[in-house]
Amino acid sequence: MTNVTDKPAAMASTTRRKGIRDPERFALLGVWVVLIVFFVFAVPNTFPTTANLSSMLGSQAVLLILALGLIIPLRAGDYDLSVASVFSLSAVTVASLNVNLGWPVGWCALVAVVAGFGVGALNGFIVTKFDIDPFIVTLGVGTVVLGLAYPVSNSRTISGVDPALSDVMLAKPFLNIPVDFYYAVILCAAVAYVFSRTAFGQRLLFIGQNSSVARLNGVPVTRLRRVALMCSSTIAALAGVVYVGTTGSADAGSGAGFLLPAFAAAFLGSTTLSVGRFNPWGTLIAVYFLVTGISGLQLMGAQQYVQQLFYGGALVIAVILSKIVRARSDKRRLAQLNN
Amino acid sequence: MSSTDRSATGGRANRASTGAELLSITGLKKAFAGVPALRGVDLNIRAGEIHGLLGANGCGKSTLIKILAGFYTGDDGEISINGVEHKLPLGPRGLSDSGVAFVHQDLGLVPSLTVLEHMALDSNGTASELHRISWQQERGRVETLLTRFDLNLDVDAKVDTLSPVEKAMVAIVRAVARQEQTSGQGGSLLVLDEPTVFLPREEIDVLFALLRKFKAQGDSVLLVSHDLDEVLEITDRVTVFRDGSFVGTRNTAETSRQDVVEMILGSRDVHTARQKSKVRTDIEPRLAASGVDGERVRSLSIELRAGEVVGVTGLAGSGFEELPELLFGARTWRAGTLTVNGKEVTLPTPHEMMSNQVVLVPSDRKADGGAQELTVLENLSLPFFSQFARGWRIKWKSLRKQSEQITERFNVKPKNIDLELGKLSGGNQQKALLGKWLQTKPTVMLLNEPTQGVDVGARREIFKLLREAVSNDMAILCATSDYEQLVELADRVLILADGEVREELFGSEITKESMAEAIYSQGAK
Repeated sequence: MTNVTDKPAAMASTTRRKGIRDPERFALLGVWVVLIVFFVFAVPNTFPTTANLSSMLGSQAVLLILALGLIIPLRAGDYDLSVASVFSLSAVTVASLNVNLGWPVGWCALVAVVAGFGVGALNGFIVTKFDIDPFIVTLGVGTVVLGLAYPVSNSRTISGVDPALSDVMLAKPFLNIPVDFYYAVILCAAVAYVFSRTAFGQRLLFIGQNSSVARLNGVPVTRLRRVALMCSSTIAALAGVVYVGTTGSADAGSGAGFLLPAFAAAFLGSTTLSVGRFNPWGTLIAVYFLVTGISGLQLMGAQQYVQQLFYGGALVIAVILSKIVRARSDKRRLAQLNN
Repeated sequence: MSSTDRSATGGRANRASTGAELLSITGLKKAFAGVPALRGVDLNIRAGEIHGLLGANGCGKSTLIKILAGFYTGDDGEISINGVEHKLPLGPRGLSDSGVAFVHQDLGLVPSLTVLEHMALDSNGTASELHRISWQQERGRVETLLTRFDLNLDVDAKVDTLSPVEKAMVAIVRAVARQEQTSGQGGSLLVLDEPTVFLPREEIDVLFALLRKFKAQGDSVLLVSHDLDEVLEITDRVTVFRDGSFVGTRNTAETSRQDVVEMILGSRDVHTARQKSKVRTDIEPRLAASGVDGERVRSLSIELRAGEVVGVTGLAGSGFEELPELLFGARTWRAGTLTVNGKEVTLPTPHEMMSNQVVLVPSDRKADGGAQELTVLENLSLPFFSQFARGWRIKWKSLRKQSEQITERFNVKPKNIDLELGKLSGGNQQKALLGKWLQTKPTVMLLNEPTQGVDVGARREIFKLLREAVSNDMAILCATSDYEQLVELADRVLILADGEVREELFGSEITKESMAEAIYSQGAK
């Protein structure tokens, strides 16, 4: 039993199904903890403080929301590169309608979200109708959408949005943590529920793994791919609304910085909890892993550009990791089978 | 049962008399994960002959070709060319650098590129990336080459505008040119792996004329084919493999068609006793299609009745392999009408057909059967998500229970439904997937090569379970090139050729010989 090649194999065969099956699943979580401990000792005066914790959790809730939308089409194997542009369009729409035209902020948010839904519908239509790689379609549509965001905002930063919106997002921090963090966690739970508990989530999984199998099992592949792209766009628009709420202002460039981190989080998240699958709780861990790293480094005195290094590096490393982790657990399972 | 006719080694006796042996293979062995595919086969090809290699599916002929081409490594045996021994393993390029040119069934051409571009790719194969291609020179070279083989082709034509036979010839000439370039000499061997399956009958002669030209040059050709009549027409000698073993080599001129059929199938096999099935003619047919046009299938009509297993078979490319997917709506219908259980289906799609209780078990398990990286549980649950749900919520507990029952009933091993499907052996995967579909209580089951890569034991179990389902008024369509399977399973067999039903065999008429006879004679028409 224990004369198998590597240690984890012996471990897994004794612990059977429960317990520490596939220790790789928790690697990211472990690294995160190590990172936190490191910063606690490296910058003891500023890192382990309520203020820093509050700012870390609150400031990147928007990123988490965006990434959670993104993993829906990713689960079906489709990239959506337009989310950051939809985010920007949504933010400037809310700000512009509210500040320039004086609309009630609730209506502004509704219009912004409907516009996001429309972009998703367009993406889905083009991708499935003409059978084009969503990578290209969403890149193109995203650029057009970004182009629209400029005239909507007159290419300026619009500030002075109705504080009613920020009240919803920022007021009464619960346990010193801004409420937008809780919104993001609720969305995370909702996506997790949809992924594992609904037919839609399971069918998306099959489409992503093998669309031919899905089709031959009667799954309406075309329709579900469209729905998934509508979800990501709509959620991106929601993220835009939340963003305006937290900052009180918006410009057409608001979303630009979020695209790469969102992908980094999605891919990094897929290396943890359920390895090889895009999953919401993994995405949450990944987002806050990235945030921890960046704010810790900045507190240690690193320059602004450390963000780019960290996000970019994390994306590439995440993709490499997912390959390695997968190969390892495959090997171990085979060894288990041969026992 | 494998009493071969090694005694009658006419070919072997003659071998000594004629001189130059170009390729000689003795005792070549190959096993995949302990399962032997070649049990020590011999093959001898003389200079200047066209040699046929025949055998049923899985007899090992494609394994042999793949070893020679360097895709697989041989386990044991001797290979020599022109008396020079080549040690195993042959390396990734196989015998390609020793004067052997290969043309595989898929031809290896890119549809959107021109003839000239294909040829230029080869002649600049080893040049540095910065090497400047002289198109004028290439054009001249390619035109000379084509004229040499009397091929009248536009070198600027894109491959997808060529006729099937032109494509085949481009592939052949290309292979020969490549071989001449690397070895720089004549006296070579051209290996053709099933080159004729997609060719219309009238164009095959054009191809054969080309092969005779090679022969006249003193080159040899090894022709691997299913089509008996073609092989008998063009070859000088034939070699037959069966179940990974060498059966014999014969001079074609001295061998009758019947002899070769017997060599391919082995000694006449005993007809398996099969329970009589009760075909329900009192109720509407489970599935009736008429005037169906698909990619290969042409105005085909078919009726499946409750309680019967209908087999369809034919040569590769005859359209039989397309039929299950076509009837399931997974391929495009060009024309035709379809009724299922008396209800007309105007636009068949997989979704639509499944709601009419028609299911498909595709032939390619990896690509179409199940998602290899998802678990057995997930794969077995896919058609049931709507059924096993309370509101939006999937009832995983019930699904888990059902999946466990399926794996129990169909004896799927290992009994761990949380394992990835891809980790199961082919036979166990197939049992699990069949179990899933039978669980949906279908009225029609469309099977495509249902026991491909399935071991004998699992095969028996699968047949038993299918028979059981049929006796409960299900109808089965089974497309396969495995005659044995049809003998055991089918109540009637349709033989297809050129996309049409050419012959129908009933009950006791269904034997391996009658099917082989019908298929090969239909292919020849």
